[in-house]
Amino acid sequence: MADTMELRDIEVWDGNMAASHALRQVQVDVVAAYPITPSTPIVENYAGFAANAYVDGEFVMTESEHGAMSCCIGASAAGGRVATATSSQGFALMVETLYSASGMRLPIILNVVNRAIGAPLNVNGDHSDMYMGRDSGWIQLDAYNPQHAYDLNFIAFKVAEDHDVRLPAMVHQDGFMTSHTAQGVHTMTDEQGFNFVGEFKPMNDMLDLDHPVTHGVQTEEDWHFEHKARQQHALMTAVIPKIEAAFDAFEALTGRRYNLVETHQMDDAEMAVICMGTSVETAMEVVNELRANGIKAGVVGIRVFRPWPMEQLAAVLKDVKAIGTLDRSSPHGTMGMLFNEISGSLFNTDTKAVLTNYIYGLGGRDLTKAHLVGIFNDLKANMDAGKPTTPLQQYIGLRGPKLSFF
Amino acid sequence: MEKAGWDGFEIGAMLRTFDGAIQNIATTLPEDRAYSQSSSFTASVADWRIEKPLFNKDYCIDCQFCWIYCPDMSIIARDKKMVGIDFDHCKGCGICVEVCPTNPKSLLMFPEQKDEDMALAEWPKKEKKEKDTEVEED
Amino acid sequence: MMSEIKKIKNLKEFSTSADRFEGANLLCPGCAHSIIVREVLNATNDDLILAASTGCLEVCTAVYPYTSWDASWIHIGFENGSSAVAGAEAMYKALKTKGRLKQPERTPKFVAFGGDGATYDIGFQWISGCFERGHNMMYVCLDNEVYANTGGQRSSSTPIGASATTTPAGSISYGEKKNKKDMMAIMAAHGAPYVAQVSPSKWKDMVAKIQKGFAAEGPVFINAISACTTEWKFAPEDTIAITDLATDSLVFPLYEIINGTELNITYRPKNIVPVRDYLGAQGRFKHLFTKQYEYLIDEWQTRVDLKWEQLQRREEARV
Repeated sequence: MADTMELRDIEVWDGNMAASHALRQVQVDVVAAYPITPSTPIVENYAGFAANAYVDGEFVMTESEHGAMSCCIGASAAGGRVATATSSQGFALMVETLYSASGMRLPIILNVVNRAIGAPLNVNGDHSDMYMGRDSGWIQLDAYNPQHAYDLNFIAFKVAEDHDVRLPAMVHQDGFMTSHTAQGVHTMTDEQGFNFVGEFKPMNDMLDLDHPVTHGVQTEEDWHFEHKARQQHALMTAVIPKIEAAFDAFEALTGRRYNLVETHQMDDAEMAVICMGTSVETAMEVVNELRANGIKAGVVGIRVFRPWPMEQLAAVLKDVKAIGTLDRSSPHGTMGMLFNEISGSLFNTDTKAVLTNYIYGLGGRDLTKAHLVGIFNDLKANMDAGKPTTPLQQYIGLRGPKLSFF
Repeated sequence: MEKAGWDGFEIGAMLRTFDGAIQNIATTLPEDRAYSQSSSFTASVADWRIEKPLFNKDYCIDCQFCWIYCPDMSIIARDKKMVGIDFDHCKGCGICVEVCPTNPKSLLMFPEQKDEDMALAEWPKKEKKEKDTEVEED
Repeated sequence: MMSEIKKIKNLKEFSTSADRFEGANLLCPGCAHSIIVREVLNATNDDLILAASTGCLEVCTAVYPYTSWDASWIHIGFENGSSAVAGAEAMYKALKTKGRLKQPERTPKFVAFGGDGATYDIGFQWISGCFERGHNMMYVCLDNEVYANTGGQRSSSTPIGASATTTPAGSISYGEKKNKKDMMAIMAAHGAPYVAQVSPSKWKDMVAKIQKGFAAEGPVFINAISACTTEWKFAPEDTIAITDLATDSLVFPLYEIINGTELNITYRPKNIVPVRDYLGAQGRFKHLFTKQYEYLIDEWQTRVDLKWEQLQRREEARV
């Protein structure tokens, strides 16, 4: 039996520490991991818990991220609670196995501390790794601060392990900006945290020796399509209601409210920026200042990145006249992901907002309040003109001549 | 097995070998196992064969070389005796015939359509060799 | 709790085993993989948790909607059969500690299978990681010295002079140029409690080694020669005969290494067969029997003799 840890109601934790404690409190059975900046402290903290009897599961330090996720898959198929953490290049190395985990319907929790992907090599936060995961069939939740990184882990386990879902889930936080920035984090007791998620309920477990199962079969053109369709069906229909139920239950327990799509000052907003991660909180501050000057600006933050909350976004953006989508990942040959996803979400609706795209913050470059004020100035001009007054895709915070496309 | 639609099978393309629970599988013979329709035991590869092995009990010494070296679990051994061939799973490789040490062989390959009684009637007689094949005692 | 070792006095007794690997799999007629798998699984009556890396064994035994496995089995990818079973073994330990095993009185054995491509090449790092970490598992390499599943490309286990599709013999090439990687030495160097080279044709030696492996605590490496009728180019009924030529010519010597140091030769052929006979029985070496490349056969013999010498010296010196 693992020892209980007495926590203060508010602990000063960075995002990594917050995630580590969540893994400790849900009493993960197997953590197989490989350290990589900036998620390394999650693994180190957890190792510390293991060394001091605060966890009694197995802690496996593998030879690579690919090995880590491979072990996680074997462990999860065997039948128990499984989690790990990674970032960036390590995430990229895992990608093959991410598809295996979701295709085999294994509820593994992966904490992704978002970081740029080289070349050129970079250790700082951007969303390249998070974007890379978006077709892998995982649920993806996005934290904007250490509190979220803590809370969303509990949500992730509760939803992923539900027998109606049985899909793996990622909890994302921004490298360094969240992972290494200490803030006050409201805690649950160990008992509260564990009970929120509950005992792991095995399903199709290899270790049930009376019921042998075969996992990871071959399917060709006569079966593959049906299996992938079944997976998509679960992701598209089962997950959102379960996440909403988990958000409700979490609010009832802690008073902290989460939504599929987070909004700030959107009720009467004429223009909005849409972004993810720590940028959401920066944008909220800017909007508060603009509101003081009578400018009806708002912020939309993506909380559930996959499955994509298309209907909720369309509803939130129904009445806005100009939208700026902020992508923290190099789009490499097209518009930013958020531009494209939001376009798709609004195309068949009555919304006629002018939509533009900003690429920002690559490799950990700061997004300043001044940048956001400039973006809102653009949006105001677009709104007044009823059409784009700027190129559709602009790079902001970049040295050298102004860079834009379309 | 019927090709079910996308909502007609278990998640994760997971397969179960048996219907219900099974204990002591390592000591339960195939005839006493409740194989599910997902076990390849329920399928047949008989149509792979061009030639089939036939078994002549009269010459068999139950050495079990054919059992141990059969790649397709198709030599049926019960109570330490060779009792026959599983023609649903035999692919006709002919290993059993090659490893059979008796003289004449107790297993021989015949065309797939060959009648078993006729084959037994035509079974070759003991071959004169300089020295009879010695069977290694195991 | 140590489980009992299955008593297998002779082949008659062994033949009372109830196979946990099923027919109507899609392996080629005469495939040695299946013979190896049977000898491994039938060596114990304990429960089994199995994994396979992508390869012939995997694609032929779990093609939806059929499975040929009577024990729980998992496949993820080409490189990570070892890590898959290591993860399952870690979960077993965790649930044992936490008292959540459904059948706590039973002690399953954890076994991963992989071809030489998955073992010598693409999965090498994962296997090394598993062995360094000391998982209680057995890794069985089905060594057919070629990527057979994809049509016969060379691997780092392909021996010199073999014609493979990516190292074809031609007017200026005798085929594969590199010597086969010494996987046994590499795995023994991990300090594994038990490492052994086995041949399914020498069933008694092989089953004894598998049982030793199951009894060992920690990671066990088994390198099994798997004669490939399709890529080595011999008739399917000759699988056992070709395998015997490999062991009796000492091209594939049978030995074990205990705790990384104690080497024992476990099979000494009564009559050592010339390497030429082994090579001549297979289509993949056909081009060596020409004036142009014949010198390679002598080189082969010299190399095999040297290796045998070296193994004997190591056995004698207990290193």
